Amino acid sequence: MFAIGLTHYLVLAALLLCLGVLVMITKRNAVGILIGVELLLNAGNLNLVAFSRYQVGDLSGQIVALFGILLAAAEAAIAIAIFVNFYNNTATVDVDRADAMNG
Amino acid sequence: MLSQQETLLISGVTIPLVCFFLLALFGSRMGKPLAGWFASAGIAASTVLASIVLYQWFRLGRHDEAHTFLWSSIGDVPITIGVNLDALTVIMFFMVSFVSTCIFVFSIGYMAGHSDEIDGQSKYHRFFTFLSLFCFSMLGLVLSNSILFLFIFWELVGLCSYFLIGFYFHKKSASNAAIKAFVVNRVGDFGFLIGLMMVFLYLRDLSLAGAADAFREQYEAGGPLFAHSFLGMSLATWMGMLLFCGAIGKSAQFPLHVWLPDAMEGPTPVSALIHAATMVAAGVYLVARIFLLLTPPAQMFVAIIGCITLALAALVAIVQTDIKKVLAYSTISQLGYMIFAMGVGAWVAAMFHLLVHAFFKALMFLGSGQVIEGCHHEQDIRRMGGLIRRMPVTAVTFLIGVLAIAGAGIPWLHVGGFRLGLGGFFSKDEILAVACHRACTAPGAIPPILFWVPVLIAYVTPFYMMRCWWLTFMGKPRDRHVHEHAHESPLMYIPLIVLAIGTVVSTYAVFRPMVEQAAPAGFLVPTFNPEKHGGHEAGTMAATEHPVPAGLPIAEEAHARLAWMVGPAFLVGYALAIGIYLRGLALATAIATRLHPLHTLLVKKFYFDELYGAVFVGGVMVLKSIANWIDVYIVDGLVNAAGWLVRLLSLLAGDIFDRAGAATSPAPAEEETAGRGLGFLACVVVTISTSVLLASGSYRTAVWVLVAAWLILGIDGIVNDLARGAWQIAGAVRRPQTGRIRNYVLFAAGGAAVVLMVMILL
Repeated sequence: MFAIGLTHYLVLAALLLCLGVLVMITKRNAVGILIGVELLLNAGNLNLVAFSRYQVGDLSGQIVALFGILLAAAEAAIAIAIFVNFYNNTATVDVDRADAMNG
Repeated sequence: MLSQQETLLISGVTIPLVCFFLLALFGSRMGKPLAGWFASAGIAASTVLASIVLYQWFRLGRHDEAHTFLWSSIGDVPITIGVNLDALTVIMFFMVSFVSTCIFVFSIGYMAGHSDEIDGQSKYHRFFTFLSLFCFSMLGLVLSNSILFLFIFWELVGLCSYFLIGFYFHKKSASNAAIKAFVVNRVGDFGFLIGLMMVFLYLRDLSLAGAADAFREQYEAGGPLFAHSFLGMSLATWMGMLLFCGAIGKSAQFPLHVWLPDAMEGPTPVSALIHAATMVAAGVYLVARIFLLLTPPAQMFVAIIGCITLALAALVAIVQTDIKKVLAYSTISQLGYMIFAMGVGAWVAAMFHLLVHAFFKALMFLGSGQVIEGCHHEQDIRRMGGLIRRMPVTAVTFLIGVLAIAGAGIPWLHVGGFRLGLGGFFSKDEILAVACHRACTAPGAIPPILFWVPVLIAYVTPFYMMRCWWLTFMGKPRDRHVHEHAHESPLMYIPLIVLAIGTVVSTYAVFRPMVEQAAPAGFLVPTFNPEKHGGHEAGTMAATEHPVPAGLPIAEEAHARLAWMVGPAFLVGYALAIGIYLRGLALATAIATRLHPLHTLLVKKFYFDELYGAVFVGGVMVLKSIANWIDVYIVDGLVNAAGWLVRLLSLLAGDIFDRAGAATSPAPAEEETAGRGLGFLACVVVTISTSVLLASGSYRTAVWVLVAAWLILGIDGIVNDLARGAWQIAGAVRRPQTGRIRNYVLFAAGGAAVVLMVMILL
């Protein structure tokens, strides 16, 4: 058994972040983009927890991560409300169709 | 490392998970029957592993040691991970995997006759994907040895239930039912979560065994859980009640039972697996696992909830006409019996009832699936009848289920030590015997009504089950079309036969002794220890000096008295049902008209849906209106008022300036328009030169340049050209602003990558 250290968590978080960005770039489905955003946020949370465990040694990072989760939940709620309205107006959740503000 | 039995059980959990991933990734390529067979093979493998462990445990008496591993720690609270290796886990694991296997095979036959295409894409593999995920979660739930992991798998199970109820999501009713199930469960899970936090806070240990030990220590030392009270009850009681809230949601108990009947929108095998045999039993399993954390008042709460549920659901089941709804309500009622049993301390009886119930309820649900499938998706039992000639196997196996749930047996007959009976005859009898013991021989322990209601309902159960069976299979066919279409398919009735045999076997073999082995020592349980009864005051917080196993055999006298009371219940119920429905629906309709208000009350299911609709949905709607009003009239009002105020002021100011003649600006001159580019250029030159001069410290020269520029270009010229310049820059900058979110993300990611590169390289 090899010991799992800080680096492993950081690499995992970096991978998650890259995946999240990729999802956000490639998906046209609004819900897909939201999932990408969640991946980004969780990558950040993972970093926070990992650093608090291996570097700081107390619970501060976990508390901040909890805030992150909370924010993610609030963000998801608002985003989904926007998507529902968007869907009601355009009958699609393709974000490329959201160009009403494009002058 | 892991012991052999642990390895076997963990592999048993992992196989469905692997199936899930494979099906999720490659399921659509496997095609119609193959995906189903693949999933069935997976769960069958789990069953084989489970049977090996069961055989070792029960027959060879080999009990491996369980290991726990430290997964993580939150503060000073360790989070352990491990297998809860005891007799209950082994037998539950076997039951879940075995029943699942039967249902998976049945599903292949069931789904073969169903169109599963939505928008031109087959969803066939998705069905088995989610079934596999469900099996993984349920088996994981059975295996977990800490309340935290129990909770995690609990939520997974709820999620799978959501997916599968909403399997026909293009149907509005199905997607609504899925949402309803999920939301109602969330209410219960919320309580569970708070209970979990209390366990974390006060007991500082989330493993089942550790929490029970800590609880006991606190009781003996008079820790904060027992010292503090809230609203007249000790925190320990609150903790037990809140943990039990999860079971109220998942096992569809009284205030939160509304989701289960609606969940019948899912495909019938799902109803059999999730909403009858296994998942809904998870609530009872949870209570069994946290039994040692329940104080007597909390147990009383559990018993009362169970009692209300079993009565309400049984009464509603009498008037249901949808074959699946009858079974759904009978499930709720039986779950009520189990919860009630837990509440009165009949731990062994409750778990025994759970295990037998899983077999015969899965059997009956699959039977109903066969009927529905064979009858061209007709679910109304009023339009069936006489199906026994068309579907003999289904009818007979279904009848075995009906006998088992009604507790059919011969009370006073002992044949070579065996008492003849089926399923409920033993389990329900034991539940009632314990209740009887506590209500009658120990006055004040539980109110007698908690004993009499379940006894009365024991007469109702056979009635509605026989009504359902008789209307479906016996009598004259009431709908020619349905009757002619009816047929059976072997892929579906073989699982029925297996489950019917399972029902009979489970009544006698293995199950009861295994459960008995697992019974926890009844700490704080003022239950039925006939010998030691006088030692403690039941119903109070007095602990027994020597903990007694919760589930000792009851004194013979309780059984003997009970045999008179509920022994003939099934005969009475059956006779009544057959008497009423022998000649079709005429007599029943007459009775319904005579008892009109009561009948309507039952048909409307005691108006729970209407009540919740009015209180919760209506309440949210009222809140919404208030919020909307505040937003429109107060928030928007303030902003609009500010706007109006500024407009008013500007009007007034404009008026004054107009009269003074100062606000009339001269029309732009011709040569100014022509020299626009030049002016802009001059402006830029002036700005740059001024800033250079300012930067170099020669303020005086800068001022002179500005004054000169002003004199040459004129103030209007500077302002206008600045504006024009801004406009042109905006036009140029606007081009990359596509308004497409994905481009922005790309730019941002590209920027981040560049920054990263720079940081790494420098």
